[in-house]
Amino acid sequence: MPTEADAVPGHRPAPVGERFTGSSVKRMEDPSLLTGRAFFVADARLPGMLHASFVRSPLPHARVLSVDVSRALAAPGVVAVLDGPQMAKLAAPHGVTGELGQAEDGPAFSILATDKVRLVGDPVVLVVAEDRYLAEDACDLVEVDYEDLPPLVTAEQALAPGAALVFDSLQGNLVSAGERQEFGDVAKAFSRADLVVSAEIRQHRHQNVPMEGRGIVASFDKESGSLLVNAATQGVNTTRTALAEQLGLPLDKVRVQAFDIGGSFGLKFGASREEVAVCAASMMLARPVAWIEDRYENLSASGQAREESFRAQAAVTREGLVLGLTVEMLIDAGAYPGLAAMVVPTVREMVPGPYRMEALAFQATVAATNKASYVAYRGPWASETFLRERLMDLIAGELRVEPLELRLRNVAQRGQNPLRMVTGPSLAGLTTKESLERMAELVDLADFRRRQRSALEQGRHLGIGFATFIEPAPGPRALDKPPDPEEMEHVRVSLEEDGRLLVFTAQMPHGQGHRTTLAQIAADQFGVGLSQVTVVVGDTESAPPGFGTGGSRSATMTGGATLHAARRLRAKVLEVAGQLVDVSPDRLEIRDGQVFRAGMPTGLLTVAEVARAAKDGSRLPDGVDRDLEETAVFDGGEGGWSGGTHCAQVEVDRETGQVEVLRYLVVEDCGELINPAVVEGQIRGGVAQGIGAVLLERSVYDDTGQFLSGTLMDYLLPTAHDIPPIEIHHLQSVLLDQDVNFRGVGEGGMIAAPAAVCNAIADALAPLGVEIKEQHLPPTRILELIARAQG
Amino acid sequence: MPHEEKALYGPDERVEIQLSVNGTPRRGAAQPRRTLADFLRDELQLTGTHLGCEHGVCGACTVMVDGDPVRSCLMLAVQAHGREVVTIEGLAGDGTMGPLQEAMWEEHSFQCGFCTPGMLIQLSHLLQSNPTPNETEVRDSISGNLCRCTGYESIVRGAMAAAKRLSDAD
Repeated sequence: MPTEADAVPGHRPAPVGERFTGSSVKRMEDPSLLTGRAFFVADARLPGMLHASFVRSPLPHARVLSVDVSRALAAPGVVAVLDGPQMAKLAAPHGVTGELGQAEDGPAFSILATDKVRLVGDPVVLVVAEDRYLAEDACDLVEVDYEDLPPLVTAEQALAPGAALVFDSLQGNLVSAGERQEFGDVAKAFSRADLVVSAEIRQHRHQNVPMEGRGIVASFDKESGSLLVNAATQGVNTTRTALAEQLGLPLDKVRVQAFDIGGSFGLKFGASREEVAVCAASMMLARPVAWIEDRYENLSASGQAREESFRAQAAVTREGLVLGLTVEMLIDAGAYPGLAAMVVPTVREMVPGPYRMEALAFQATVAATNKASYVAYRGPWASETFLRERLMDLIAGELRVEPLELRLRNVAQRGQNPLRMVTGPSLAGLTTKESLERMAELVDLADFRRRQRSALEQGRHLGIGFATFIEPAPGPRALDKPPDPEEMEHVRVSLEEDGRLLVFTAQMPHGQGHRTTLAQIAADQFGVGLSQVTVVVGDTESAPPGFGTGGSRSATMTGGATLHAARRLRAKVLEVAGQLVDVSPDRLEIRDGQVFRAGMPTGLLTVAEVARAAKDGSRLPDGVDRDLEETAVFDGGEGGWSGGTHCAQVEVDRETGQVEVLRYLVVEDCGELINPAVVEGQIRGGVAQGIGAVLLERSVYDDTGQFLSGTLMDYLLPTAHDIPPIEIHHLQSVLLDQDVNFRGVGEGGMIAAPAAVCNAIADALAPLGVEIKEQHLPPTRILELIARAQG
Repeated sequence: MPHEEKALYGPDERVEIQLSVNGTPRRGAAQPRRTLADFLRDELQLTGTHLGCEHGVCGACTVMVDGDPVRSCLMLAVQAHGREVVTIEGLAGDGTMGPLQEAMWEEHSFQCGFCTPGMLIQLSHLLQSNPTPNETEVRDSISGNLCRCTGYESIVRGAMAAAKRLSDAD
């Protein structure tokens, strides 16, 4: 394995037959999507299929006094109506993760509300009918008597002494109060500081909003006792495990399939309460039951993300070196806390980012409130980048240094010893410095500052903002424990008798194009044309172990496993072919699906013929391995970081508060590109979500806990006019692995963009005395901030 | 108690509808309250039209009715009686791709593909009425169609490439 010092910039290893990897081949996914022949979960039509609809709480916090389903049960087409206690007999409480799940008095998250409702949108009753219209009609006939309880609308309210309890079995609403942890010598860093910059920085509540909501079709077969599920999920294996556990079924009696999926961005993992309820109904009725979430359900109840705030102090030298930070984090986990506490260790570890700081003190508190539950959303830990990058600009402002220059003074560099974050992880292969330098070349800051000054003379406010980041994609190899195969993405590759190469993976693409990118790798490594490869996804019957698509794992871990599995299978096929043509395998090669004597122009036989001979076996001596299948895992190797620098240039209209993004640049290093068009699509899409998060998107609750963002006219997504063309520049990576230098790129756009845009707006409004310490900056808020600053 | 009202039609009562879909005469029966989108998807099995919000904002369900783009989640099936409807399945026919689809494929215009039917209908309408649009006109045309994956640039590029293909072919 080459060390970092051996890595040659500009060197690309050229595996035998490389033709597809690295080029923007057209996606295999697209023909069916472009002609209306794709198959999404809502497109399933099964004989006897019923439709589910949920009665949901209109109140944020209330005791359920009574539920009367009699009129609903008598309504036309209704087959079943299940309330919370009935559902509790069919399915175990929802899996509670994190500290709450381990606590002895930890609450059970019932599938439907039993004693209480805890958010607007909490599912209370499930109606199953012959048709969705009839199911929704019957929902209107269910009568629920509630007794209002005081709503807990903010984390601060929830933690106040004497606050009402979200879960009566807990002593308070504190989900987790992690201990303060110190890395490096914090006291020393602050004692050496020339100044301390303090800030309270808030990130607002936003959410995934895939264009397709959640959905599931469950079909229980009473004869065999098995459950067949078609689910919109990011991972069929994880969904199967969750469903089997909650429904009390053996794993082998649950089969989960997934087909085309209309986006997710972290939302569709495992099995939600609604999905468990639908499966339970199918089991009770022994008929297929479908539930296709509507947009109100998606916005109110599928989950929301990122409502986190920080109190931070930075110890800084006169020269602008950030010596250390103290950070207190508060997370609003919503009504059914799960992931919120789990994101803390990643945020803590990532706070230093690519900077050299020598000390960090970190403490995080997680509170339950009467709002939608915290879910993963594209770079769930990204608040560390927002905090750090906003803080860097505040420090730069105090010192009157260019923010880009301040970053250059602080960034860690290869060659530095040790090359690691103060929190521990190795920064091997870090190219942040190069990304900052490249960005400096691209934007011509001096010229921008001139234009900014002359615009200001005409009352126009231009601003430029930078944000730099690294993302674990999938992160450097853990040093304290050996790689655990159970935690990896497995890939199985087999050669069929018709010469097709099948690649089986637990990845579940929902926009990322894995059917194409993994095929590119396999085709090159094995030696067949792209059209001869089929990537098989979306079925627990055939999927090898793996967690699914998330955490930017697929490029490195699944890409690496595909590479190694295809290579091993190639060697095996050559072994068999060698026997058949009586040539030593090391003098044979596979090109375009044919076995050649190395360097010769005429093929000896096709791989299909090899596969058939292997199957038949009669022409092969004993002892030859005729099983043309190989499985591999890849742990991600040493180089687990993607990263780069973003730059936003904006104009803020001080009269209307409107922000226009004039230019947006990304300098990115995500290792070697498998398919540049796919990579750039991921980056642009992430940046668009980041721009949306700052200028438009927010999940809003009023002071009474009522949810105000229940339609796409309230939760505003960016349109074609809101997102400028995004200029992407790829950096040459440091190659750390002999073979696998692909890295994940799914999350970075969304991780860095909010900070870059906010920094640009702050820069634009600095002449007005406005300080930005929050992430949501729609026109109304910008006008408020200007008015406040102007007194 | 919920408000009681004597309905004009019972929940199972259906109205006969005749219309042209993708150039073929189709007939079916729909409850008066059934949306055109649900009628296309459930009765006619044309599931290429997608429902992203069911309140007329996202544009995924856009179909052509008598030559104009219409949100099929906001139009009732009975209102389509006697009209000509074109869905994504009918853009090229027989599962093949027309120049717009080919260009979008070439340009990696889409990711998850859920907004695709509405985008394609909207853009094919644009290219019919304005065969040589500029980028702003393309963005105007799809400004009522939401895509959560792409940031729109690849879609705009695909539309521009399609316009070029179409004008080169003329």
